[in-house]
Amino acid sequence: MLDAFIQGLLLVVQWKAFAFMLLGIGVGFWVGLLPGLGGATTLALMLPFVYNMQPVEAFAFLLGMHSVVATTGDITSVLFGVPGEATTAAIILDGHAMAKKGEAGRALGAALGSSLVGALIGAAALALAIPIVRPLVLTFGSPELFMLAIVGLAFIASLSAEGARGMARGFLAGGLGLFLAMIGQDPQAGIARFTLDSMYLWQGLDIVPVLVGLFAIPEIVELVVRGTSIAGNVAPGSIRHGALEGVKDVFRNFWLTLRCGLIGTFIGITPGLGGSVAQWMAYGHATQSARNSEERKRFGEGDVRGVIGPGAACNSKEGGALIPTIAFGVPGSTSMAILLGGFFLLGLVPGPDMLTTHLTVTFSMVWTIVLANVITVLVCFLLLNRLTSLTAVPGHLLVPVILVLVFIGSYTSNSSYADILVTLIFGAVGYFMVIAKWPRAPLVLGLVLGKIAENYLYISVARYDAAWLKRPVVVALLIVAVAVVLYPAFQAWRGRKKASAHA
Amino acid sequence: MHNRASLGLALAIMALTAYGIFSALAWPLKAKLFPLVISIPLFLLAAAEAAWVIFGKDAPAESVEAEGIPRNIAMRRTWIAVAWALGFFVLIMLVGFLIAVPAMVFLYLRVQSNEGWLFSIVFTAAVWGLFYGLFDLLLHLPFPAGWLLSSLGLG
Repeated sequence: MLDAFIQGLLLVVQWKAFAFMLLGIGVGFWVGLLPGLGGATTLALMLPFVYNMQPVEAFAFLLGMHSVVATTGDITSVLFGVPGEATTAAIILDGHAMAKKGEAGRALGAALGSSLVGALIGAAALALAIPIVRPLVLTFGSPELFMLAIVGLAFIASLSAEGARGMARGFLAGGLGLFLAMIGQDPQAGIARFTLDSMYLWQGLDIVPVLVGLFAIPEIVELVVRGTSIAGNVAPGSIRHGALEGVKDVFRNFWLTLRCGLIGTFIGITPGLGGSVAQWMAYGHATQSARNSEERKRFGEGDVRGVIGPGAACNSKEGGALIPTIAFGVPGSTSMAILLGGFFLLGLVPGPDMLTTHLTVTFSMVWTIVLANVITVLVCFLLLNRLTSLTAVPGHLLVPVILVLVFIGSYTSNSSYADILVTLIFGAVGYFMVIAKWPRAPLVLGLVLGKIAENYLYISVARYDAAWLKRPVVVALLIVAVAVVLYPAFQAWRGRKKASAHA
Repeated sequence: MHNRASLGLALAIMALTAYGIFSALAWPLKAKLFPLVISIPLFLLAAAEAAWVIFGKDAPAESVEAEGIPRNIAMRRTWIAVAWALGFFVLIMLVGFLIAVPAMVFLYLRVQSNEGWLFSIVFTAAVWGLFYGLFDLLLHLPFPAGWLLSSLGLG
């Protein structure tokens, strides 16, 4: 095993494989920076190029590209408030708020630091979990997956503001997301629900145009209204010092980083939940790390923990997602399904062979994830001055460029003008939510999890009737969901008790 | 301002869910169960929020956009931003991305930002070059010519 582990490293650092990895990192770097152009799309575009490569070279290229997309996607999210990737939207809430306060360097430092730690956690999970993950994944049927979706939805309580009013608005936003998730052809009865007789809506709402509209359009409007740069009149301060502070923040909150990394890995391992879920669950968990209500109020206004949580989860999920893909040929996400295509192109069959005959190839993947992330983070730190200075570029120069990126980003998700229309509509929704002080995160969580929850609920009921409710993992997850919902109320109660004790 | 926006959102959700409930009633049980389970409580919650806004006594709060900027100016600039976004969308549909992108960037710099001719031309060329080189030449993403150009047979 140790031999194969070291052999895997030696294979990746051979000049040809290493050069392909660097090429992949270069492509992934820009794909991550550009809004809307997703990692999955680029994987699909690059797949034909691996025909003539050796397996290690091909995976160094493909995984090198794919594993850095989320890292550089964080940069766009933090600097411009535009999600670089659908999986990097949660970091906007606090990361972009920090950039507007002149703390872009610190936010980027925290995002990059947590991304690296997250990636290492994911890679370690991939290396360690392969022999033991099989029974775990096989115990997860549709009832457990439904309950996992419910646990995710329970985080709406944490993503809402405090008090009954804040909670009501959070659940309204989450409910709206669930409602929007029902748009499209119903998979059980085949009925077209809320499609307004439009073929475009039969597939349901695509997450990318919705996310881009919800987060980017209000930022563009705000830039025009303020008439300043992103950082406004706030002096950006010492960028390198700020970035170093951000990295230190990751280690100051190391347990949070670790927990969020594990959340990401777990969501990645679980097929059918998707990468977008991990960041929001991690963000929800990060808000729960607030010690009192005052601290909690800082989330959304530039709390570094709101950057660290999703940053770690976003990158750790890639290692996690590779586990079922390699071990059982069960892809956990679109990207992994495309990568699975790469396996077959190269004549590899996922499954036991990857853990025996081709174990060195499997470990070369682990090393690719590690090396690609280390290199990307180092390059990002070298470019940090230039990247952060973008927040000081006058708004009137940024607005047309961001507008172009936003429209292209949403258009490329389905190559349809309707995508842009969806972006504009959700831009208006996002704008009014910002003005009304409604949280936007629950809406995204509801949209992402709604369809998953409905599908797995139907399968569970059809297959097990009510007996699925008695399954031990279902009961355990139900308890977790209840605890997640009640935790903010418990926090508030504890805060009031402490305050009255001090008075 | 934020109260009116909150009321507007609550009323919009009420209208949306009412439409959802009304539509779902005609579907078979499998298709309507989830919509009804979501829509009915959501309608009631939105109604509660609307009542809260109308009858409650919220402290007035400044909107994010209006911070430090007079409200009438903030509103005017908001409409300007909306007009540019909608204008860009219409332009894309009419003449396609390849023409709409440089046209919008150039017009924005000249009309909205009052930049000089030379700067506007160079900046527009740089943005267009990046867009064309990356998305069209390199990635071969399909960008249709737009309705107007297609109908004139130029697409």
